[in-house]
Amino acid sequence: MTLLDISGLTLDLPNGNRLLDGISLDVSAGETVGLVGESGSGKSVTARSVLGLLPDRATTGGSVRLDGREVLGAPMGELLDLRRHRASMIFQDPRAGINPMRTIGDHMTETLRLCEGKSTAEARARAIELLHAVRLPRPEDHLRQYPHEFSGGMLQRVMIAGALTSSPRLLICDEPTTALDVTTQAEIITVLAEQRASRDMGMLFITHDLNLAASLCDRVVVMSGGRVEEHGDARRVFREPRAEYTKRLVAATPTIAVGEASVGRAVSAGERIETSAPDTRLPSAQSRYGAGAPTRPAAGPMLATLGLSKTYHRRGKEPVRAVADASIEIARGGALGVVGESGSGKSTLARMIVGLEQADAGDIRIAGRERTAAPRTRDERLAHARSVQMVFQDPYLSLDPRITAGRAIEDALRLHTRLASAEARTRVLELLDLVGLAEQHANARPRTLSGGQRQRVAIARALAIAPDVLVMDEATSALDVSVQAQVLDVVAEIRRERGLTVLFISHDLAVVRRVCEETVVMKDGEIVERGRTVRLLDAPEHPYTRLLIDSVPRPDWDLDAVMAEASIDALSATQG
Amino acid sequence: MTAVRRIAGKLGALLLTLFLASLLVFFSRFIVPGDPVSFLLRGRTPSPDAVAAVTAQYGLDLPPWQQYLNWLFGALQGDFGRSLQYRQDVSTVLGERLPVTLGLVVMAGLLIAVIGLSAGAVAALNRGRIADRATLVGLTVLGAVPSFVGSIVLIAVFSVQLRWFPSFGSGEGFLDTIYHLVLPSIALAIVFVVLVGKVTRSSMVEQLGREHVEVAMSRGLKRATVIRRHVFRNAIRPILTVAGVLVAGLLVSSAIVEAAFGLSGMGSLLVQSVDRLDFPVVQAIVMFVVTAFVVVNAIIDILEPWIDPRSAAGAGAR
Amino acid sequence: MTTPTLAVKVLRAPRARRRSSTTYLISLGVLAVMTLAAVFAPLIAPYDPDQVDFSAFYAGPSPEHWLGTDGLGRDILSRMIFGARTALLGPLLVVVSSTILGVLLGLLAGWRGGWIDAVLGRIFDVIFAFPALLIAILAVALFGKGLVAPVIAMSIAYAPFVARLTRTLVAAERNRPYVAAYRVQGFGGAWIALRRVLPNVTPIVGAQSTLNFGYVLAELAGLSFLGLGVQAPTADWGAMINEAQAGLIGGYFLPALVPAVAVVIVVVAVNVVGEELSDRIGGGTPA
Repeated sequence: MTLLDISGLTLDLPNGNRLLDGISLDVSAGETVGLVGESGSGKSVTARSVLGLLPDRATTGGSVRLDGREVLGAPMGELLDLRRHRASMIFQDPRAGINPMRTIGDHMTETLRLCEGKSTAEARARAIELLHAVRLPRPEDHLRQYPHEFSGGMLQRVMIAGALTSSPRLLICDEPTTALDVTTQAEIITVLAEQRASRDMGMLFITHDLNLAASLCDRVVVMSGGRVEEHGDARRVFREPRAEYTKRLVAATPTIAVGEASVGRAVSAGERIETSAPDTRLPSAQSRYGAGAPTRPAAGPMLATLGLSKTYHRRGKEPVRAVADASIEIARGGALGVVGESGSGKSTLARMIVGLEQADAGDIRIAGRERTAAPRTRDERLAHARSVQMVFQDPYLSLDPRITAGRAIEDALRLHTRLASAEARTRVLELLDLVGLAEQHANARPRTLSGGQRQRVAIARALAIAPDVLVMDEATSALDVSVQAQVLDVVAEIRRERGLTVLFISHDLAVVRRVCEETVVMKDGEIVERGRTVRLLDAPEHPYTRLLIDSVPRPDWDLDAVMAEASIDALSATQG
Repeated sequence: MTAVRRIAGKLGALLLTLFLASLLVFFSRFIVPGDPVSFLLRGRTPSPDAVAAVTAQYGLDLPPWQQYLNWLFGALQGDFGRSLQYRQDVSTVLGERLPVTLGLVVMAGLLIAVIGLSAGAVAALNRGRIADRATLVGLTVLGAVPSFVGSIVLIAVFSVQLRWFPSFGSGEGFLDTIYHLVLPSIALAIVFVVLVGKVTRSSMVEQLGREHVEVAMSRGLKRATVIRRHVFRNAIRPILTVAGVLVAGLLVSSAIVEAAFGLSGMGSLLVQSVDRLDFPVVQAIVMFVVTAFVVVNAIIDILEPWIDPRSAAGAGAR
Repeated sequence: MTTPTLAVKVLRAPRARRRSSTTYLISLGVLAVMTLAAVFAPLIAPYDPDQVDFSAFYAGPSPEHWLGTDGLGRDILSRMIFGARTALLGPLLVVVSSTILGVLLGLLAGWRGGWIDAVLGRIFDVIFAFPALLIAILAVALFGKGLVAPVIAMSIAYAPFVARLTRTLVAAERNRPYVAAYRVQGFGGAWIALRRVLPNVTPIVGAQSTLNFGYVLAELAGLSFLGLGVQAPTADWGAMINEAQAGLIGGYFLPALVPAVAVVIVVVAVNVVGEELSDRIGGGTPA
């Protein structure tokens, strides 16, 4: 039975922008439909229109039928009824989605009390039952707590439970796990799948993550620029994408599957990275680390840290051990991935290496020189800068909003070299060219550049100083997959041409797999496992690494036997 | 437990601020060049007797810190010395004038609360529409009407032309007093209504854009319910912060309104005392206004965890 | 029914560069005219502002006296033109000096943090407890009537507002990745603070200071209205209203209303300009 039937939906803003252009899709009871697209594709607007949540003064066309009733143009009373009984929505960021000034109990019982006229006791009993259902540990206590006392994952469970209070027929999930760590994501997906199955709801699942959609959904709809590019059976869409856009999207999406070549997919620029991984130029690529301390190969690593530790002391709270006894080593021209979830200490490690934080203990050597102590003089500062540079996570914040791209690069150049203006100008254009930008970008302020372009500028700026080591701290996490692939291509090319040594910090195993020959896994400030990336993904030794890998969503039909022994539990859970 | 410690900390900060302010108020006299007796007796022709009397009364022959301590302990007991113009205790003079000013401030406060909050709310809920734009234009114009301008316009229109309200004095008895204070309190309130209105609008607009409001809408709550429980409730905090600043502003601006309407309140006393070089009274009034400001803001600070539960958790950490 | 989050996101996007609004241009024009009038007062004013016309007390508007005369038969228009000098100069001095002082202290507190921030914050808290008008009145009580002492006092009273705003902005900027990026590139702290962070916050602070101009103008005029600022018979808008109060009860509105309306017009114009400026700046930098 069809729960949701959207046909020919268009949506125009008063300023003439067309956000949606002829969207058609349907969801039946007991079925999960994925709505996949990059930012700005219109997937969230589509989802909200199901509940009649339209942008102010927008005009719509086509029809949205929910449980047989038309949503568009429905009177307010009917809309309220649809929202109260037919469909519920789960939003991306639970931290923003639950009123921070009211208790969890208030959030859970609000609609029951105010819309359904249930007594306080009834509402409370129902709330406790639902909090149990989403596997929160102490429902009775939680009712009295405030959102700020919860972790993101727990809050998302509250959000799910809150959406279930109305016993909806259709559950709309708008990127419900994007703000969460990968292991938490796996747990939330399990809960969602369980609830969908036990209540025989229909589910419309919006995500930018192809792997997640593929592992969870029966059918998918791929959107781009307000249009449906392709829809159909989930397996079919990912195995044999028909639309150009889908092909590119599938190609750009990194996976952690080792035997990638066996999966039929279009060859993209990004693909070259694997094949051209510069093993030959890695004299110490085979060097194995000992139990704790790395043994120095004869050539000498480009970057080596030994027993690096950092603890944060905050008044009135327990001290936080951000990094404990971290020893890593990268050979000249090598790329090391540091993988971990939020709070694992991976960013603190990066910040200590570039000198933004001072280590409590341990030492850092870059190109054989001591770089542990805070530089005291201008010369020391510049020397430290020439040894290591960093590309930051958020391209929107890591460039000075007032300074043009060319000027930013030129500033860095002139601080470190004695180039005359004209020479510096030429160098700037060379560097922009190196990262795939053109002369006109030199005069652009960051505001007018896209996220991917900004991140290229940041890379060019770092390269202007010609550092020994480049640290990339979640440098592609904020980008759409297609843009991410382009930026990763740039990095791969520079590595190939210049033999740059890279420390790549990421939460995303699939991206790390694309970039790095070696990987360390961090958890709670400690390095729990290290080794060649392929080996690590193939045969993880530490239970946490295994959990991490198992938590990465992937379609079962994509893996065949490759990862079978490692992933059965997680997959069976996510498949409901 | 932590709540007690937090409140104690706030009270400590309050006392420290008051102590520093009292230093400023008392020692401001010492930055004026010249000897203190002639400063206090400026504009008068002092007989040797008077000089001796003033010197003895204010202990002007004592070292400055001793003078300060005497003044401070006197002030703590409500004794601010003697007024030079009235030849009465400062506290007595002040006590006679205070009721009118407080009446004025309370009436203005009510106007500010009712009109400011509703104007801000109407504008925010109609964001971008005509009601919003009209309110904004109105607020922008009214915000440029200082109390003395407001006073003379109100007098010209409602007292002189229409003869609806008196233009002078504070009247007798409760109802008559209120009647007399209508125009003055409007004149006093105008600028502050705008302040509260604008803060209310921007605070509510900000909350309306929050995702939790959209979530509440998506759950089928009525718009009015969402606004009451999720928008207005969450928007209170910045409004209260502004309200805390208002109190001192109202007390000071009432000087202008009292002058315009011939009310004998604390504000006109302050102006008179400055005019007649009665410094002890000036000191006392300044200290009173400062204390009112600090106390009101400390109360708002202490109430904060009940307004925003997050701040209670943050207090221990920061 | 609307979805606020979406509406905000969507509506903001196309608004790249808005043209200057008409009210903004008119306001700028008003301020320019007022400033020119103040600067060239002796050349423009039809009469000497203190010249008494015995044939015309409380005269209405006429070809001789466009805005009429006051109770002493002085030409109101001429007094308005001369009065614009004190009305505009006082606030200008206060705004400029409080902005310079406040930006320097705010930058120091926000960039260095720690005990410097704590001490400055405490001092600001104490000064906040004194409303600007109260400090101005206290200054008059100490140093006598006139505008010099109140202007200095109000510069001090307004500096903490500027300083606190600057401090908040600088402290936020300091934690932005772009500042960390400068550090990683090897730039020194003083260079980053003065050459990069300061220029990024000054537009916002400047727009806010423009808004302060209106408040200061109203407060200084209020002081003169109380008879504590500019003294009669000197032409000043506040003092003119003070002098005209007696006539007001007698039904002679013009001598009081003209300066009153002038105050309102200037303050509206300044506020429109200030708000437009902060709007533009707000749209320019990432939030």
